[in-house]
Amino acid sequence: MTPVPPVLRLVVRNFRASLDPITLLVMFGQPAFLIVILGTMFNQLIGSVGTSSSYVAFLVPGMIASQMITGAVLAGRIFWLDRRWSMVEQIFCGPFLRAEYLAALLLTTLLFSLVGVGIMALVALPLVGLPTLSLAELAVILGTIGLGATFFGGLLIAIGGRIRSANLYFTIQSLLQYFLIFISTVYYPVTAKTPVVLRAVVYSNPLTYAANTVRSAFTHSFGPGDLVAGEVLAVLAAAAFAAAIASFRRLEFGPVQ
Amino acid sequence: MEQNLRLYAFLWGVPRERAKARAEEMLDLFELDALRLRKPWALSGGERRRFQVARELMHEMELLFLDEPTVGLDALTRGRILDYLARRARDGLAIVFTTHILHEADRLCQRVGVLQDGRLATIASPAELKRRHGGARTVEAEFDRPLSPEEMREVDRRLREKADTFAPLEQVDVRLVFRARNPEDLVAELARWAERAGVGIERIAVREATLEDAFVSLVGEGPGPEDQPTGTLT
Repeated sequence: MTPVPPVLRLVVRNFRASLDPITLLVMFGQPAFLIVILGTMFNQLIGSVGTSSSYVAFLVPGMIASQMITGAVLAGRIFWLDRRWSMVEQIFCGPFLRAEYLAALLLTTLLFSLVGVGIMALVALPLVGLPTLSLAELAVILGTIGLGATFFGGLLIAIGGRIRSANLYFTIQSLLQYFLIFISTVYYPVTAKTPVVLRAVVYSNPLTYAANTVRSAFTHSFGPGDLVAGEVLAVLAAAAFAAAIASFRRLEFGPVQ
Repeated sequence: MEQNLRLYAFLWGVPRERAKARAEEMLDLFELDALRLRKPWALSGGERRRFQVARELMHEMELLFLDEPTVGLDALTRGRILDYLARRARDGLAIVFTTHILHEADRLCQRVGVLQDGRLATIASPAELKRRHGGARTVEAEFDRPLSPEEMREVDRRLREKADTFAPLEQVDVRLVFRARNPEDLVAELARWAERAGVGIERIAVREATLEDAFVSLVGEGPGPEDQPTGTLT
């Protein structure tokens, strides 16, 4: 029998050993809860938003895009807990290379993000119905999520590799998570009425491009702007991946707080 | 714990069936069978130690580092683990084993390195270490009555003449204890004296130098001057 490749073995281990069901419930439950509550409540106040027919129809693609952050946060958490409990050292004593561990973390990020996308789509089903997506639009959504997950996962791994305090790491992670989600177009659109400074901040956030691209796919309004957004996201993902590699190369072993 | 063992084997690429069989073997060997469903954080210190060693043995390897694997274990379990490790060593596994329990090293190891202040002071087989650094061996003779002070002086003089190195006699009730590097010669001399003096010898035992004796001698924190064998230990 062909042995399972090391990267996949580590991914299985990430899923089985590093996460407890309550954490998963909270991490995926929170955005699902927001779709139901925020979507239903704001739907009463807000009519159509841009090309979306209702607020909840606007919110769902945004929440789907934000799953790249959820996946990245979970992978960052696995990495940091591995460091904290000296699992990184133990793994590297095993038949694994740093590159394989890093690849497994990023693959875990991607898989978690896709699980999140599936959960969000299921939760949204009663509210917005089954979206009619072409294969190309589905590919755009998955590609965007993949690039975004690589970007945010790489970013958190790069940060996690340089920090030796759990408190600091989890504070930065929470801050990033909330900052990136709220200063983006996940919950609300950017219009001509949006203050210029805020607009600039929102458009400097990669999640904005991801949310807009996913939304365009949902509303069948995919255009050249989304292509540029995809390219920007790809460049950022490559940069974050390189930063994660650099952080890994300089990773200091030994106790962390 | 069983799942944890099998996950560990999976990480090392051990085929599923072999991992299952090895997990059963380890659970039995380390007496963890009753704890197979317990979570790792619910284990006691000793159970955790056994589990850690069991987990490391889930896969095949050429070199195994073990850091005091028997600390906190009862004698029976310790013996089982050491027997198992000796078996794996005979099958070709190289084991680097750190311990403060020197008779374990004596029993298990082909070569023993002594670390002193973080440096390798020496490395040799246990027999060689004992020969080089073990010093004198202890002889314990038990008579049918306590010896008088005159008899003690006479025995001391005769043994000292025959000894390569010799530690002063010590008498505890009917037992006479001394240390020497050539105990066989002295035992013969003692027997001759006892026959002539009409003293019955109930028992004579020669205790071989232990690795602990060699270690103590080597690191220079050995017995006090009154207990030191005379002569030079090389």
